[in-house]
Amino acid sequence: MAPDTVMKGKQPRYLRQPGRFNPVRIKSVASPFGRHIRLLLQPGFSLYDAIVKPLASLNIRDASTTILGGAFENLDYCVAIPDPAKRTVIAYSNPRHAGHAYMVFGNATLGRSIEGKPLVHCHAVVRTEHGEVMGGHVVTESAIVGPKPISVLVTSLEGLELCQALDEETGIPLFQPVEASSHE
Amino acid sequence: MNEFKSVESGRMGRVAYARIAPNEDLVLGIEKLCLAQGFNNAFVRGALGSLIDSGLEARDGSVIEIKGPAVEIVSLAGEVRSDENGTPCASLTGVVADPDGKVYGGPFVLGMNPICVTFEVTLEEWLPDSE
Repeated sequence: MAPDTVMKGKQPRYLRQPGRFNPVRIKSVASPFGRHIRLLLQPGFSLYDAIVKPLASLNIRDASTTILGGAFENLDYCVAIPDPAKRTVIAYSNPRHAGHAYMVFGNATLGRSIEGKPLVHCHAVVRTEHGEVMGGHVVTESAIVGPKPISVLVTSLEGLELCQALDEETGIPLFQPVEASSHE
Repeated sequence: MNEFKSVESGRMGRVAYARIAPNEDLVLGIEKLCLAQGFNNAFVRGALGSLIDSGLEARDGSVIEIKGPAVEIVSLAGEVRSDENGTPCASLTGVVADPDGKVYGGPFVLGMNPICVTFEVTLEEWLPDSE
């Protein structure tokens, strides 16, 4: 069967990253199963705390989550722009204030920062308090859950860890999946 | 082509998390991930990352080009199905945000969505009862 959507447009543009690259372009780890949890984000908490703390109580430190939408008391987000300092290909902009925003849909990954602390990486579509629908990288510490709990579907990642590490190729700290360490 | 079947019973199997590196194509990357992990069928359970530029399919089959860098992936849903030869085919749809935060939506066009910095994806294997 012939493929039906091959190169209908122009050729894609590629960008040379600043660092040496790993020839392995897809780094993946699989686990035999994932636990599924319905998490309710607690009103008044930051998005960070509302994800990290309840999951930690279930001993979940690495997870992929879908935020099903809801109102926030405050929300700030960043967009990705060419790095003004030109050290990296792109960098996050300064946070933009969306105020009393409604998150239409979000995805958040829970892993561990370079320092070993919980880290939540969240991208979302938001309707700002001015009614514009925008998208970007949510600042999880300053995003405050609004008056109603927000449902989140959590898929835990069992037997693997998402560890932030400085990526030599891009020069940016990124999540990398690794097999769970044997001491856990 | 098989006759249309509106219901397929099955269950979820393994879970794979991947980081896909710059300049790889989003759609092909997910198909390669399925081959690498031996997933015949899968659903996307979580995904976020950035693209250099994005190509979304319009109703007339043309490509809507969203210029970066970077174009952030802010929503992604989709599945992978393998044909009788075991070749995976990913159907992905989503919402992206341009460098000003403006959003666009539609199906991602094969070969037109090169990854900018990183793409994080979680796939859950789908095991149909019939297999």
